[in-house]
Amino acid sequence: MITFDNVTKRYPGSHEALSNVSFVIEQGEMVYVTGHSGAGKSTLLKLMAAIERPTTGTVLINNQNVSKLKESTLPYIRRKFGLVFQDHKLLYDRNCYHNVALPLAINGITGAEAGKRIRAALDKVGLLDKEKAMPITLSGGEQQRLAIARAVVSRPSILIADEPTGNLDRNYADDILQLFSAFQQVGVTVIIATHDALGNVNESNKILHLDHGKLTTNEITA
Amino acid sequence: MNAWLTQHIQALRLVLLRFAKYKLSTLLICLAIGVTLALPSILYAVLDSVNGLASSVKSDSQMSVFLATNHDENAVAAIKTALEDNANIKSFKYVSKESALSQLQAADTNNDVLNSLENNPLPDAFFLQPSNLEAESIESLKNNLSKLDGVDEVLVDGAWIKRLNYLLALGKKAMLIIASLLAFALVAVIGNTVRMQIVTQQAEIELSRLIGATKSFVRRPFLYAGALYGLIGGLFALIITFVVIYLFNQSLAPLVAEYQTNFSLNYPNLFTCTITCFLALAVGLISAYLAVSKSLFKSIH
Repeated sequence: MITFDNVTKRYPGSHEALSNVSFVIEQGEMVYVTGHSGAGKSTLLKLMAAIERPTTGTVLINNQNVSKLKESTLPYIRRKFGLVFQDHKLLYDRNCYHNVALPLAINGITGAEAGKRIRAALDKVGLLDKEKAMPITLSGGEQQRLAIARAVVSRPSILIADEPTGNLDRNYADDILQLFSAFQQVGVTVIIATHDALGNVNESNKILHLDHGKLTTNEITA
Repeated sequence: MNAWLTQHIQALRLVLLRFAKYKLSTLLICLAIGVTLALPSILYAVLDSVNGLASSVKSDSQMSVFLATNHDENAVAAIKTALEDNANIKSFKYVSKESALSQLQAADTNNDVLNSLENNPLPDAFFLQPSNLEAESIESLKNNLSKLDGVDEVLVDGAWIKRLNYLLALGKKAMLIIASLLAFALVAVIGNTVRMQIVTQQAEIELSRLIGATKSFVRRPFLYAGALYGLIGGLFALIITFVVIYLFNQSLAPLVAEYQTNFSLNYPNLFTCTITCFLALAVGLISAYLAVSKSLFKSIH
């Protein structure tokens, strides 16, 4: 599904954010990307989601080489992913319903079909009664769940979340992780970056541990 | 095709929703565009009307060809054929000096003076109507006719028409210059408005790009916004033009009545209205395109 082969990413005027990273993520896996802040977790996620391209090495997404794709085709690759951003990136000028509507609009889905899907997504994260509320009125955990609803509304096969539990207390964090494993159970590949995941990791989840841009531990099971 | 149509309807809907959300500022921008466009539009209406007036006067204008008093009999026939052969002459009539004198006698009450003359001082003459009323062509016709044998003098009635024509040409040039300068102003106004919208929508644009929106998906609403600003502005310009001409004509009516004519400013016709709206739309679209291509994708690649 996602294959990294000797991937290095260097930003102009900066050290290597990632060096020689190789791994494979299969369909339906639950993967944690761990490491201290600045270890390259966000960079790794951006490369996975075709938001950035590697400096050297190969990134394959569904057997398509991101480096070789034309810039104009990248948006279509990105639509395969549901993204939950570290800073939520909610739009505060519209209500919850319209926040979740954006990915559908990008996919050209509007009207009744969109309405059904938006309510289904809000229902899944437990925000169905907040559809008319403005995001600013939601609590931190609710905002995070809204961001997840937006990420899953277009039914992506891969869900990528950057620090989804970052500023949440334990109970909220557990809720959110529950939600992610629920998606994994229905066949969605879930990739979560976190700096404190190890405590929450259960069963046989794959862990990609980054240290200063290098992959130090591959496929530990906790 | 269907998906393509959906995308466009979606963009248009989004723009209309944004317009509805910021009614007052949208109205003010369109009004500014309308006022800017109304200026050349009114100027055009004035020029068009004066042009109409000039050509209605011109159609009465004629040229008089006076023959030398000592010409021989053949000269009249020769000039007659020359005039008949000239394509630039619509019609002409010959007035001999005898008939001119009798006309004068019939018209003038003071016959004593005329009767006291020993011989007829009037020349034979041709009065002709040129078919082409352009200043240059009348000038060359006059030169040609002066060269004919037996012609003493060629007079063009109403030299002021020539001057009016030059003034009209000057006015048209001024209108074109003003219109193009104002078009630049419009590009600045619409461009700035669209740029400001891009800034306020920055978060949405960035997010959309991150989750897979194509550049044209992001660009499209802004282009529609620019085109709509132009179009609505053009409609405002037409409304302003109609109102101004109406008010003007009302004050003009008693004035022209004094001159016993019925001159009034013409309202723009359907063609002019369409052209105005189309040009306004095009200027809006172009300004939006310039603004969008300069500032839309600065932060995201």
